Amino acid sequence: MSYAYLFKYIIIGDTGVGKSCLLLQFTDKRFQPVHDLTIGVEFGARMINIDGKQIKLQIWDTAGQESFRSITRSYYRGAAGALLVYDITRRDTFNHLTTWLEDARQHSSSNMVIMLIGNKSDLEARRDVKKEEGEAFAREHGLIFMETSAKTAANVEEAFINTAKEIYQKIQEGVFDINNEANGIKLGPQHSPTNPTLPSQGGGQQGGGGCC
Amino acid sequence: MAFLQQWKRLNFFDKEVVKLPGTAEIFTSLRDIDITTCASGRGQVTLGDSDGNLFFLDRNLEISGFRAYELRVTHLYQLKQHNILVSIGQDEAGINPIIKVWNLDKQDKMRNPTCSRITRALPGSNQPCHVSALAVSETMTMMAIGFQDGSVTLIRGDVTRDRHNKFRTVFQDKTPVTGLAFRHTQRSTVLFVATETSVSSFNLSGKDPHREVLDLHGCPPRCAVLSDATQDNQFVMGREDAVYFYQPDGRGPCLAFEGKKTLLHWYRGYLVVVTKDSKMLSRNLGAAGQQLVMDTVTVYDIQNKFIAYLAPVPEVLDVFQEWGSIYVLGGDRKLYHLQEKDTQTKLEILFKKNLYSLAINLAKSQHYDYDGLIDIFTQYGDHLYGKGDHDGAISQYIRTIGHLEPSYVIRKFLDAQRIHNLTAYLQALHKQSLATEDHTTLLLNCYTKLKDNSKLDEFIMTKDKEVDFDVETAIKVCRQAGYYKHALFLAEKHGQHDWYLKVQLEDIKDYQRALTYIAKLEFFEAMDNMKKYGKTLMNEVPKDTTDLLKILCTDYKPSDIANFLQVGEEDEPLIDSNMLSGDVMPSVQKANAEEFIHIFVNNSGQLMEFLEHMVKVQPDSSHLIYNTLLELYLHDMAHEGERRNRLELHRKAMDLLQTSDALYDIDQAMVLCQMHNFKQGILFLYEKSKLYQQILHYHMENNEYDQVIDTCKRHGTQDPNLWVQTLSYFARKEENCKQYIVEVLSQIDRYNLLPPLMVIQTLAHNSSATLSVVKDYIIRRLQQENDQITEDERLVKQYREETEKMRIQMEEMKTSAKIFQVSKCSICNHNLELPSVHFLCQHSYHQHCFESYAENDLECPACAPENHKVMDIIRAQEQSKDLHEQFHRQLEKSQDGFSVVADYFGRGVFNKVTLVTDTFPASPKKLTPSQSPGILPAPMKPTMATQGAPRATQHPVQKPIQQVPRPSQAAAPTRATQPSTGYTQPTSLPSIQQPSRTQTPPQTQVSRSTPSSVQIPTNRGGTQSFQQETKQPQTAAADVYRSSPSRLTPSNPNPPKSSSPSLHHRAPTAPTQPTQEYNPFFGAGSSTTKAPAPGTAPTAQKSSAPSKTQTYNPQSNPFETGPPKADNPFGNDGSGSNPFEEDEDANNPFFN
Repeated sequence: MSYAYLFKYIIIGDTGVGKSCLLLQFTDKRFQPVHDLTIGVEFGARMINIDGKQIKLQIWDTAGQESFRSITRSYYRGAAGALLVYDITRRDTFNHLTTWLEDARQHSSSNMVIMLIGNKSDLEARRDVKKEEGEAFAREHGLIFMETSAKTAANVEEAFINTAKEIYQKIQEGVFDINNEANGIKLGPQHSPTNPTLPSQGGGQQGGGGCC
Repeated sequence: MAFLQQWKRLNFFDKEVVKLPGTAEIFTSLRDIDITTCASGRGQVTLGDSDGNLFFLDRNLEISGFRAYELRVTHLYQLKQHNILVSIGQDEAGINPIIKVWNLDKQDKMRNPTCSRITRALPGSNQPCHVSALAVSETMTMMAIGFQDGSVTLIRGDVTRDRHNKFRTVFQDKTPVTGLAFRHTQRSTVLFVATETSVSSFNLSGKDPHREVLDLHGCPPRCAVLSDATQDNQFVMGREDAVYFYQPDGRGPCLAFEGKKTLLHWYRGYLVVVTKDSKMLSRNLGAAGQQLVMDTVTVYDIQNKFIAYLAPVPEVLDVFQEWGSIYVLGGDRKLYHLQEKDTQTKLEILFKKNLYSLAINLAKSQHYDYDGLIDIFTQYGDHLYGKGDHDGAISQYIRTIGHLEPSYVIRKFLDAQRIHNLTAYLQALHKQSLATEDHTTLLLNCYTKLKDNSKLDEFIMTKDKEVDFDVETAIKVCRQAGYYKHALFLAEKHGQHDWYLKVQLEDIKDYQRALTYIAKLEFFEAMDNMKKYGKTLMNEVPKDTTDLLKILCTDYKPSDIANFLQVGEEDEPLIDSNMLSGDVMPSVQKANAEEFIHIFVNNSGQLMEFLEHMVKVQPDSSHLIYNTLLELYLHDMAHEGERRNRLELHRKAMDLLQTSDALYDIDQAMVLCQMHNFKQGILFLYEKSKLYQQILHYHMENNEYDQVIDTCKRHGTQDPNLWVQTLSYFARKEENCKQYIVEVLSQIDRYNLLPPLMVIQTLAHNSSATLSVVKDYIIRRLQQENDQITEDERLVKQYREETEKMRIQMEEMKTSAKIFQVSKCSICNHNLELPSVHFLCQHSYHQHCFESYAENDLECPACAPENHKVMDIIRAQEQSKDLHEQFHRQLEKSQDGFSVVADYFGRGVFNKVTLVTDTFPASPKKLTPSQSPGILPAPMKPTMATQGAPRATQHPVQKPIQQVPRPSQAAAPTRATQPSTGYTQPTSLPSIQQPSRTQTPPQTQVSRSTPSSVQIPTNRGGTQSFQQETKQPQTAAADVYRSSPSRLTPSNPNPPKSSSPSLHHRAPTAPTQPTQEYNPFFGAGSSTTKAPAPGTAPTAQKSSAPSKTQTYNPQSNPFETGPPKADNPFGNDGSGSNPFEEDEDANNPFFN
């Protein structure tokens, strides 16, 4: 599948807030109630379409546990977008947002688009963090905010796609330097000027090399 | 926390120390080998040792080896697809690595593999350096060698040969290269390079390898491996904190498996990681007391995220896979075999731990068969159900749909609280089109119980959804549950008109819409439904129903009607224009209006309107329509209170009756009229059906004398008996009705309807009738009868006289002589000449006149027509005489039997004397046609006349006959003969004809045959036999002739070679026969046509121009063209050449 842009995302947040489930819902459109603990960093990809442009999203789903922080930190770099997730039924996950945000800001490029996500919106009865609080936090820190439910898939697509739109808009505005891969954005194969040779030519050259 | 940060541990492998085959003895043959490196593939394991030897270990654990290097072997690489082994070692001291490529299939004399190539491995810097990594492309076109100094040399070209290889240093790093791997995909070849501080990928597709730095972390030696397709051929690197995966273009996931890795190996989706574990080390030291470091071998299932095996192995030297298993070479020189358990065992393990989802994933990744998977789903579902996780259970059960009996699941969830689970299951069942009716019912019941309208909507209302349920059941359930809208939708969508209407009418009671719906249906459906529901509709929306019925019975078109009804029900003119335009298409379907009549029960107003419309639009409607309409009129008339309306109905009923094309049933109409005492109608119907008697009776019953007389007057002509009846009617009346009786009597008199006696008898019943009434009548009648008698008597007398006269005449003929004195021929009116023919009827003819007119020799032409007439009558009577039945019938029918019998007597039916009709009916005797045929005298039979001739004396007869041929005497034949013969023998006439016949036949026959025989100029007295013989050849000749002018003359130029042979056959017959038999004719013919003798023809042809032959043609002599043909075979011109060839070719203008 050819694409015009490749955006790299990272999903961060406390353990058990539903990061892996969000990814699974977005990439596989399914929900796994019992999900194994993420050990390290997992990886998912999906194509979306923004403004008629095919955009490939490469998403790193990180382990939320503190012990893996050193590993996951290395993934901040080179991410164009981050989904900062908390669990609306657990206030502590909301309280840790500041730490996560600092961590992200520190290790990522300054232009990274961060979306704040209050997950498990289907568990309204057990809500511990009001939506307004999330909105207020997002406003305060200049984030986009959304409440999602990985279980019912509510807003999951939107969360990823809105982030992508934001990034895309920043590209259009020239905020991102698309040639710097550290920003987490890559041009698609057909757009990239640095890869002029085609595979078929390469094969021919290989054969030629053998003869010389 | 630590245990939480690891994957589940399962024991999917069995570890055992490899033993010698068939024994319990531990395999220890490697004990003495200082193994430096090993490789595996293609059924054997290759080991390199520090003495430069290569050892091969086969499946039976037999070792063979040879010396490959002088000093040591450092690296080995076994190609998977070719039996090629690449080794790096040292032949001499110092830093001088040598690459050797071994072809393991080719063995030299020593039975050792042949070395196909020896190359020095040099880093880019040209500084001798130790090799630290080796990778060979499976395509055998590339080899990458990593060095301790951090450089990678890529050798392109045939791996097995030295020549034409290009060395190139693609990479230079500061730290030693620790891992190399080629990644082949269809589109590209990528080389992964891992050093101790970095990971890079090189795209080798282009000429200049493009480096992409993937990470700025490296890995220790041997801790990099390429995964297989299950992990997208990622490059896997083991670092202390985690295992990292790399795509060619960037980082992939990472798995935080902690521990100091010494070796990574990839085996069929499993990642085998060897780590040094300090804790293990200490424990093993304590237990075994050995000096070996214990390593931990962990097998990770990357895809399913669990640890498939974990066990300590003393100081792992290497891990290789061969013979379908993993082998771990321990530091104790023992081989440890990690045997993967079979899938079933694995699944059982998982089931025990209730790890069903893992089991499912595993089964899928192992391509477990579908039934097995279903089994897992079921177990999982059962497990979840048991745990109370009904939602989860149902989602598992849903996956079993199609295999697991649905009732098993449904039974489990048939509980009010589990209804939404059940619903989900049933929905899935429907989605897969495996639902039965019961399931549909159940699902819909679930929806309705749950009041889940949105789901119900979705289930039912989704327009373009495929129907995965039983529609009828669904409708039923919806209806029962009160979801009429849904039921309606379904019914409408699936064309269940009956259901639609039922719901619409019985539940929703939206009659207008039901009607609209019917109007949209196809004709037959509309008709049927109208029959079914018409009554209901009529009760509710009479007007529109009537309108629809009208249309239905005239020219029904679903769409139009629908539009019409939507546009506005009151739009009367639209219908009328449709209806009255009259141009009803022949294809238009019409319903029978009478079938709808019952709908209008209790709604006579609408019925009347409907029927009136029907009658108006379709005058040819069935009689039932008319009957009903009539009944309706009459009924309403009877019950209508207001006079004006009654009159109106009266008028309508009469109009209906009087309409000429009204097809009402007269009998029924009559009954109706009588029932409702509709006088005018009754009378009209009587009149129409010509029941004048009934009219009369009607009037009589009502004692309407004037009407009675009037009726008689009007219809008396058709049925005179009316008068008779009227008479008896009046006769019975006691009142004074003299003037009527007089009137009746005059009529009876006029038509002579009753014998006077009857009249008198009839009137005698009446006490009031006086003689004066009948006096005139009786007098008149008696007078008439008197006259009649007189007339009859006169006729009797007359006939008697005539008969007597005829008898005398006959007697005269028999006994006295007859004199033929006629002087003129009755045909040509000229004076009679001999030969002549005389008839007893006083007609005489010239013989030639007679012959040309007479139909036969025995009959007088003048009298023949009359005779025939009479004879025919006689014959007819003869025939009818036997018709007893007819006679009896006539007798029975007739009022006056006597006259019939008399008539039959008159016809001679009972006469024994019969006419003999088989002889020729030539009657010389003139018969007066006026005479009654019945009294034709029998003796006048022609046979008697002919027989009379022989009886007569022969002499006088002969004489005149002999005179006939003489021309000299022909001047006065009659006079000459008559005196002598005529007086004496009147019967000589037939005998005159007799002799003449002997003379004439030749003449007539010849002359007749003349036209058929072609142009015979004269009859030379040839006999008949001669002529008949000659006819045959002559027509044959004529055939030849006929074809010749067209064929021969214009087509003469044709080369004779082709045409002459066919002519040969015919030509000799045609000309030779004439020469033999027709020579006489020839003489005559040749004088004019110059038709030469056969021999002369060629010369004539030669000398004469072709135009001359043309001149012959019009004369149509059959032999003209014959001779030229004929002479051809003779060829008598001496030259022997075919004259046609020369002459015709040269001269014929047609040819060139």
